[in-house]
Amino acid sequence: MKAIGVRICKWIGLPGATILISCVALMWLIGCGTNKQSGEVAAGTTGKSGAQLWAENCIRCHNIRSPGSLSPAQWEVAMMHMRVRANLTPEEHKKILEFLKAGGGG
Amino acid sequence: MKRATPIIMNQTTAGAFVALTWLFIPSAAIAQDVASSPPPSDYVSRVEYDKLKAEHEAMKQELDALKATVKQLTAAPPPAPVPGKAVSEGKQVVDAPPEAATEELRQEVETLKAQIKETFPGTTKFLLGGYGTAGFTARSGEDPFFDAAFNAIFLFKMTDRLLFEGELEFEFEDNETTTNLEIAQASYLLNDYMTIGVGRFLNPTNFFVERQHMNWVNKLPDKPLAVYDGLLPESELGAQLRGVVPIGPTKLEYAAFVANAPGLITESDDFSEIGTLDFDNDANFGGHVAVGGHVGFIPIPQIEVGYGIQRSKVGPRDQAVEAVLQSADFNYVQDSPLLKGLITARAQWVWSHVGHFVYDPTGEQGFGPLTFNNNRNGGYAQISYRPTHIDNDYLKNVEGVFRYDRFNQLHTPVGFDEQRWTLGLNYWLTPSAVLKLAYEFDDKNGGARDQDAFLMQAAVGF
Repeated sequence: MKAIGVRICKWIGLPGATILISCVALMWLIGCGTNKQSGEVAAGTTGKSGAQLWAENCIRCHNIRSPGSLSPAQWEVAMMHMRVRANLTPEEHKKILEFLKAGGGG
Repeated sequence: MKRATPIIMNQTTAGAFVALTWLFIPSAAIAQDVASSPPPSDYVSRVEYDKLKAEHEAMKQELDALKATVKQLTAAPPPAPVPGKAVSEGKQVVDAPPEAATEELRQEVETLKAQIKETFPGTTKFLLGGYGTAGFTARSGEDPFFDAAFNAIFLFKMTDRLLFEGELEFEFEDNETTTNLEIAQASYLLNDYMTIGVGRFLNPTNFFVERQHMNWVNKLPDKPLAVYDGLLPESELGAQLRGVVPIGPTKLEYAAFVANAPGLITESDDFSEIGTLDFDNDANFGGHVAVGGHVGFIPIPQIEVGYGIQRSKVGPRDQAVEAVLQSADFNYVQDSPLLKGLITARAQWVWSHVGHFVYDPTGEQGFGPLTFNNNRNGGYAQISYRPTHIDNDYLKNVEGVFRYDRFNQLHTPVGFDEQRWTLGLNYWLTPSAVLKLAYEFDDKNGGARDQDAFLMQAAVGF
């Protein structure tokens, strides 16, 4: 095990190895322990509304777009994309999507 | 005389009585006939009168009941719309007040419109988006030119866990239209905290590229030195594992990837390119693998800080040297009622290190053997303000931007460091459509010519 660690460190360097190994190990452990269906609310929820999360997360990169700019079905796809790209938590994804779908359809 | 007058009077009275009797007998007979015959239509019998009276009373009671019902319905709130309810089912609309009925009908029409719209091809699990750009650049020492580009983004949600994302860029440059495959990635949600992606994806270590490079998002017409088209790849070809972990009110983001390594340019007609990294090394010349990652931390929703690193061997297999690329990023966004607007502050700095390599060892290319300290760095800091909270409909769409960017590579074949100060003024037509104007003050050392520039750009995201 130590030899593998040394080889990885030699291959990608200590900073890279530290990031990779710790992230993978941590995420795998946490993920396996709480493997839920996509969109279910994770533990430790923030209690913020969908509108609040929509405003907080979207504005971090770009102007917030009106819920009516896409149909509910289109928001489903767009929000899955943003969940991956913008690293949204399952709770944020679920609440923002519900908010957008409720106000969409135009 | 007196005696004769009464007689005459009596005779006269009797005659008159008889005459009157004869006159009235037919009338009395006629009246007697009328009373014994059925009444004409202009007259109402007692039976009919009683019947009509009863009906009138019943109608009066019914009217009072209707008045009470209308009063009750008018005072009550309009009924909640029933999603998906068919128009034919809306019999209650007839009984409801006009306003409520109209509202309910409107809701039903909207629902039906949405349902119909969702049946159109490409609107259920497939989404076509993207952005388009038209620009003008006048840079000192160069011919001014117009340019245009169109990026089409294809998103396909195959299941609740599987997403395919593709992006094609069509750009008009050098008198021809070029096409680039920017992204072609399949992402699978392993669990709430892990997503795996394979294919061609935006470089996770480069915050600007992942989050800001789209022209309708980027607040200036051009992109910062070193960060974009400089020291970091814009995309990677390989596999990545990424996700986010909520830690109380904070969030920790991570991404790790393996990908084709960049190439090392050892031969070129342009001497300034010697020693730079070729990030379009899709054929993976040299056969090396790049490993990298990015960690981001969001302590409060307004602030995000991150660090990324990529490490690989570069160059020919038998002469490979090490390349380490690092990036630190900062992002602050505050919608401030106190300052009546939206403030953003962004910064990113990049370091590139390429190990010792002897270029043109035989001197065949005319400049070797050449070695140099191949360390470069650069980045940008940018602030912007848009008075979104003021009442003026025009001013609230105006945004001022200032950016400082820098690229240090004096001791490389490039031979100069460059820094720029850029002032920009934007007008937002919609949240994703913007007109940009900017003036760039350029400063190069090492004897290179400064190239100030005037830039215009229209960008639309959809």
